[in-house]
Amino acid sequence: MELKGRVWKFGKDVDTDELFAGRFIMGGDETSQSQYQEFIAKSGMSDVGQRENVPGDFLTGVAKGDIIVAEENFGIGSSRQQAAETLKYKGVQAVVADSIHRIFFRNFWNLGCPAIDLPGISMEFETGHEIMIDLRQGIIKNISKGREFGFRLIIPTWFIDMVEAGGLIPYHKSLQKSK
Amino acid sequence: MAMTLVEKILAKKAGKKFVKPDEIVEVSVDRAMIHDALGAHTIAKFRELGVKKVWDPAKIVVVLDHYVPNKDIDTAKKCLNIKKFIAEQGIENYYEVGKGGIAHQILVEKGHVMPGTILVGTDSHTTTSGVVGAFATGIGVDEMAAVFKTGRLWERVPGTIRINVEGKLVPPIMSKDLMLVILKRLGVSGALFKSLQFTGTTIGQMSVAGRMVLTNMAIESGATNGIIEPDERLVDFLKGRTGQPFEIVQSDRDAEYAETLEFRTDDIKEPMVAVPPKPSNAVGVTEVEGTRIDQAFIGSCTNGRLEDLRVAAKILKGRKVDKLTKVIVIPASQEILKGALEEGLVSIFVEAGAMVGPPTCGPCMEAHMGILGPGEVCISTANRNFQGRVGDVTAKIFLASPATVAASALRGKISDPREFFQEA
Repeated sequence: MELKGRVWKFGKDVDTDELFAGRFIMGGDETSQSQYQEFIAKSGMSDVGQRENVPGDFLTGVAKGDIIVAEENFGIGSSRQQAAETLKYKGVQAVVADSIHRIFFRNFWNLGCPAIDLPGISMEFETGHEIMIDLRQGIIKNISKGREFGFRLIIPTWFIDMVEAGGLIPYHKSLQKSK
Repeated sequence: MAMTLVEKILAKKAGKKFVKPDEIVEVSVDRAMIHDALGAHTIAKFRELGVKKVWDPAKIVVVLDHYVPNKDIDTAKKCLNIKKFIAEQGIENYYEVGKGGIAHQILVEKGHVMPGTILVGTDSHTTTSGVVGAFATGIGVDEMAAVFKTGRLWERVPGTIRINVEGKLVPPIMSKDLMLVILKRLGVSGALFKSLQFTGTTIGQMSVAGRMVLTNMAIESGATNGIIEPDERLVDFLKGRTGQPFEIVQSDRDAEYAETLEFRTDDIKEPMVAVPPKPSNAVGVTEVEGTRIDQAFIGSCTNGRLEDLRVAAKILKGRKVDKLTKVIVIPASQEILKGALEEGLVSIFVEAGAMVGPPTCGPCMEAHMGILGPGEVCISTANRNFQGRVGDVTAKIFLASPATVAASALRGKISDPREFFQEA
């Protein structure tokens, strides 16, 4: 499975309060997928511009298929899945970081979006670079610089199948169907 | 082969003889907790799975704590969806407003988590319950929906970082001050995909409430969980709270730790304050003494327990809090509120000019109480001081012990509790 996209470079310790503020957690009608997704996409990262670790033009510039490359400890904090959902619904298809917090790591994968931790990777990318990720081979390429990096994920064997199914919920549904 | 406490629990629940750090295991879950903040979302995901019944309604605990009493129609609607679900699924362990409190307090207080078991919750501070020697950790809502369906969870076995603490904590230095010192050493990412196991004479002497501060804030180091081996004190605590039999699991004597960090209480020379925007930014209180505050909050799943309120009351008794400072005291559960009433603590708070709130998460986060406006400064006994955590992005949060927050409430400035403690 290959992912290609344009890089947004984030700093370190991007936390879940920053990704999705507490005031929006109870908003959105979770029983209506389209309404909910629109609400989550629009409400996330409401304070960007006043943060040092996210580019000020991220909200206006982010487009479908973009990939975040971040410094250490991405997604530190809360269980709130909205923190991962808002990135997905804004169009981000993957996060690559020097290190990733456990709950965010799981939440983002569960949405069908790879979260890849590889120490030192952030130094190799800047905003605007073209990136390619080969999930099964474990390769990240900086296409703009012509450089390649290997990674090894510590994930369950079924995880990439899950991403291909579109996330944890669709994956579980497909298991039920095949029974 | 020797294993640490966490490794032994995960091995047992995975049906394996041995597990090692960074191995992926699939384990059975003993308890699953949802609350109002992510409960309705979990239920929507569960319904999407198309399964009719949860795997075991007796293993699910539902607590309303973040946005209660409901602050608006959206929160009320989500709580209604939760209520419908518990009725339909036959979930008995449900804590309605006025009958419970903060989930992490309730899970321990009501004996829902037993030593050697696995608890998952839709909340990062689920780690708190590790105080009973359980593997307790947070997950998101898609994953909780899958747990509701299967009763199973995958986990990356965390290597264990042993945090060994020796010596006596001398009041008003509290377990909070110790934890801020530990976090300073670990940093906010020092324990990613690792477990923190707290050991040593200091922990042995500590009350269960004091220990819960450590397991609660273990998550702030990035850890998967925090855990403490059960001892006699814990067994006595649990005996009054559960009729269930339980088995004590302990680390093997020759278990391998990823790392052992040694701390001595003698090295904690003064009460600590974590300056914004990281829980790991601990400094001695004298370094930030005199910083003007707008709000002082005593409560939360970190420090809203009876012994915390006793310490605060000792400092506030017979005194008045600063005229312009909003002082908010929130007991973490109904049981704690009742204790505080019976011991006369609530009167002390009210006479001092503090607002006493109903058991709820309160201004630990931007939920619905004590939200901070632009530029406001809060000193809080809670666990996080990230930018924008409790309201406006320009507000600032300092984390400290109940003693330090109470002392600061009196002056309207960050203050050293030792002064007031000596007088008392």
